[in-house]
Amino acid sequence: MIDADLIALFTTLKMAAISTIILLLLGTPLAWWLANMQSRIKVIFEAIIALPIILPPTVLGFYLLIAFAPQSNLGQLWLQLTGSPLAFSFSGIVIGSVLYSLPFVVQPLQRAFEQLENHYLEAATMLGAKPLDRFFSIVLPMTKASFITAASLGFAHTVGEFGIVLMIGGNIPGQTRVLSIAIFDHVEAFEYAQAQTLSLSLLIASFVLLTLVYLSNYKKVNHQKVSR
Amino acid sequence: MFVHCFRLLCLTLFSLMLSGINYANAAQPLRIAVSSNFAPVLKQLLPQFNQQTGITTQVINGVTGGLYQQIKHGAPYDIFLAADSLRPQKLAQEQLIISNSRKTYALGQLALYSAQNPTITWQNLASIYTNKDIISTQQKNKRLAIANPKTAPYGKAAKQCLIKQGLWPLLKNKLIIGNNIGQTFQQVRSQAVPIGIVAYSQLKLNKLNGNLLPASCYTPINQQLVILKNTQQAKSAQLLSDFLLSKKTQQQIAQWGYLTAHKLTISKFTDKKKQ
Repeated sequence: MIDADLIALFTTLKMAAISTIILLLLGTPLAWWLANMQSRIKVIFEAIIALPIILPPTVLGFYLLIAFAPQSNLGQLWLQLTGSPLAFSFSGIVIGSVLYSLPFVVQPLQRAFEQLENHYLEAATMLGAKPLDRFFSIVLPMTKASFITAASLGFAHTVGEFGIVLMIGGNIPGQTRVLSIAIFDHVEAFEYAQAQTLSLSLLIASFVLLTLVYLSNYKKVNHQKVSR
Repeated sequence: MFVHCFRLLCLTLFSLMLSGINYANAAQPLRIAVSSNFAPVLKQLLPQFNQQTGITTQVINGVTGGLYQQIKHGAPYDIFLAADSLRPQKLAQEQLIISNSRKTYALGQLALYSAQNPTITWQNLASIYTNKDIISTQQKNKRLAIANPKTAPYGKAAKQCLIKQGLWPLLKNKLIIGNNIGQTFQQVRSQAVPIGIVAYSQLKLNKLNGNLLPASCYTPINQQLVILKNTQQAKSAQLLSDFLLSKKTQQQIAQWGYLTAHKLTISKFTDKKKQ
């Protein structure tokens, strides 16, 4: 692997890791809120969160491009707060990734929270556990597998991102040139050998990651079957 | 139990900091946004530039129209090597460039290329598609690759030639439109598309044989560079501009299949000799 590709690999992993952490911090309360929502308005929020699954990435990319531009309000605010523009920056593609991968984190968590049996939490409340304590001592251990699924899917989906980064990234080495873009570049430049190295490694890594996710799900399901 | 929460938070902050530090510390290389047709040539030239000046560079290649949009939306490039004069002019009007930095660094030439059939010329291309012979039905359905006329200057020029030749109505539905001229060249070279209109420089650079299109059928592809107003490295960008426009570099650019601004005739003559 050449240096430029290693930089692209590092950028990709960094983008995916930071996005996953933000996704978990953001997705967990969101999923909890949705899981416990009684109102019918819930479906609207669910639809909004699921949008990135069906929308072409170009739609999200287009709106983000406009939102991030230095002329826009958000772009200006960011520029004043951080001193660097948001469009075509690493922070920009992280924000894009978070929006893009949100359903992949929120949905498994929401399902898990919905299936959680209430009496454990009620018992804990009776024993005087505070909400955060209840979350970390009961909810988290019981839904651990779903958290692993959510994090892995969020991570993997972010690594696989292409369209949005192409539109709001600008292909800058070390900042926004991620693996998928590097592969695209190699193919266009007729550098098939390098494209092949990157593609194959990505293929294998994704396969391994997904297998691990399904393995953890498999264990969980089997475990439940046995205990019943 | 707050420990978990705290740990997670620390991790996030730490990683965010890491990414922040990365920006601050890295000695900024000169960021060159370059049109796909010129990117391979630029990559050949940059080691010399680096040797002469010690300036490190990053090359971002894309389609001229796309790079223009990115610059308009705040992309942090220092210098832009377009494949036309239209986008640099627009950037000048929008006051996004350093005044007087707009210079012509090369004139592009179009060529017809087919990996399967190198003998195809502009003249017999027309006969392939206009021939009324039944045997040529298969030929008539041959696809032709050009770059996107809306965003790629080489695509726009290709379209002009096809219109002038009266082939546009025939070919309109048989075209494979590449996102940029690099993609078009890749499609034809890999034989995914049998014929294509590509940049002559791409053929030269890869030692392939194609046929120049008559310069009379398209408006000259006047490739201009501009130094962007937001650059923090105006000096380095100016050095690169000077380097590209220097006599020695211009001669090299001419060798790679471009016409140069000053001596429009050099490469024309050498090409004629070869054919």
